[in-house]
Amino acid sequence: MSAALFELVLIPLRSLRRASAAWGIVLALFIGATVAFWPAFQGSSALSQALDQLPNGLVEALGMQDIGTPAGFLRGNLYDFLIPLLLVGAAVAMASGQTAGEEDAGRLEIYLAQPVSRVRLWVARVAALAVALAVVVIVILVAQLGFDAVVGLQLPASHLAATLLLCALLAFLHAGLAFAIAGWFPRPSWTLGAAVAAGVAGYLVVALFPLNATLAPWRHVSPWDWAFGGDPLVHAAAAWRYMALLLPAVALAAVGGLGFARRDVRAG
Amino acid sequence: MTMQTSTAGAAATSAGTGAGAALRIAGLVKDYGPVHAVRGIDLEVRRGEVFGFLGPNGAGKTTTIRCVLDLLRPTAGSIEVLGLDPHADGVAVRSRVAYVPGELRLPERLTGAELVASIGRLRGGHDPRRRDELAARLDLDLGRRMRDLSSGNRRKVALLLAFLARADLLVLDEPTNGLDPLMQHEFLRLVREARDEGTTVFLSSHVLSEVQRAADRVAVLRAGRIVALGTVDDLRGRARQRVEVWFADDPPASELAGVSGLDDMTIDDHRLTAVLSGPIQPLLAVLARHRVASLLVEEPDLEETFLDLYAEAS
Repeated sequence: MSAALFELVLIPLRSLRRASAAWGIVLALFIGATVAFWPAFQGSSALSQALDQLPNGLVEALGMQDIGTPAGFLRGNLYDFLIPLLLVGAAVAMASGQTAGEEDAGRLEIYLAQPVSRVRLWVARVAALAVALAVVVIVILVAQLGFDAVVGLQLPASHLAATLLLCALLAFLHAGLAFAIAGWFPRPSWTLGAAVAAGVAGYLVVALFPLNATLAPWRHVSPWDWAFGGDPLVHAAAAWRYMALLLPAVALAAVGGLGFARRDVRAG
Repeated sequence: MTMQTSTAGAAATSAGTGAGAALRIAGLVKDYGPVHAVRGIDLEVRRGEVFGFLGPNGAGKTTTIRCVLDLLRPTAGSIEVLGLDPHADGVAVRSRVAYVPGELRLPERLTGAELVASIGRLRGGHDPRRRDELAARLDLDLGRRMRDLSSGNRRKVALLLAFLARADLLVLDEPTNGLDPLMQHEFLRLVREARDEGTTVFLSSHVLSEVQRAADRVAVLRAGRIVALGTVDDLRGRARQRVEVWFADDPPASELAGVSGLDDMTIDDHRLTAVLSGPIQPLLAVLARHRVASLLVEEPDLEETFLDLYAEAS
């Protein structure tokens, strides 16, 4: 990597370091607070019996199946909805802020007046987001493993790592959507709103469609199904699931870069 | 070189040599939807000259500059910077151009030194001795963060970055906004030094005195069109000057009435007051035939000239 390209990655990373540290710490604390309740859930027959009274579809929609097992506990309380959605929010906010947000504030101009191409600047912003997201996920993984050890929640580290990688890729996919929108329409509110809405809609599809026989097959259109349809906390996820998230994310970011290279740059 | 003025639909052009122009703009049009920001600009800036780009806010100066830097894509027309196309050869162009934006949006958390280092890495390095020399001349503390700097000090950071780059073409958009008079003077010294070293300076401003002191040639822009183009001396030549003459005898009213460019004439006893536009020679020729006790010709007011040109063009 040339010194100029390295610098182009460092520029957004400098402003993302606080955001990624904050997201990592907040999510780690949230995980700690949740995992602290594991001893109460562990092997709880009363809770299992109560859930057995509910329709299977609803229990699955809430991600509460096997809540008394380590994998079920983490899925139901953290990885079925909250951690992925918060990571999507973090990734979209950072992607939108570093593209549409910076452009809207007029802060890209000083860099675009230098001998760098718009495509390089865009690629560097995508790379910086990937690094920042990786930092957040590594903090979460370390925190999860640490808290698990403290409360005796036993789950293979490889399953946790795979689940978090899928969470990160789901977040990266939505960040890719934010990049795609920002590349053509540099309005932070549009970028942020559309990408987060897509994230929530994807979750609703995977959570609610199975409750209706007609809609049930359509749950597979949701990226949430691609990420977590194979229950990665229990079973090793197939390679296609990673690629199904990564490749569209890269393609969407590239679409944004194409738009950014072709249009006027806003002065703020 | 003679001063040219344009009327609507006929943009002014210089008699530039063409070959070796630092900047050549032909038929530049830039629309934002229904808004016509630039309506057809043609101009050439020669290498090594300081070119003033004058006009009030909203005249299209910044839009033109942002097209030159490929930050905006023209609706029509062509631009050539140092012989290169700023869109197709953008990186090569910007490696030889340094730019001070009119609206400064600098990264808030960086110190001046960090920003200089960062931009230096994007440009392939910078000379730390030159940086320190410029910081001293601009009385700038590079250890302070951008968010803690006044607008004037931020402007100094942008100027330091531009002059540090040792570019072939300096594009300066309202470069003295927020600077105190002492620093404006230092800025003009830096511009002259850059020109002496062969750098071309494209100086956009709405401050006439600044352009008058720094520029070799000037284009006056109004409502997206160039309404006048020429040397600063040309602009002065077109200036309206107040003239006051005390005659030893009665003023030669009929002869004075025939002097070209002499208007608003008032004769009060032996005293004549009038406004002169254009060359002074015809008036002097008349005065030479009479006994003149004293003569006062006030310094031309470029501001008025500027406004006259606008009125003429509209």
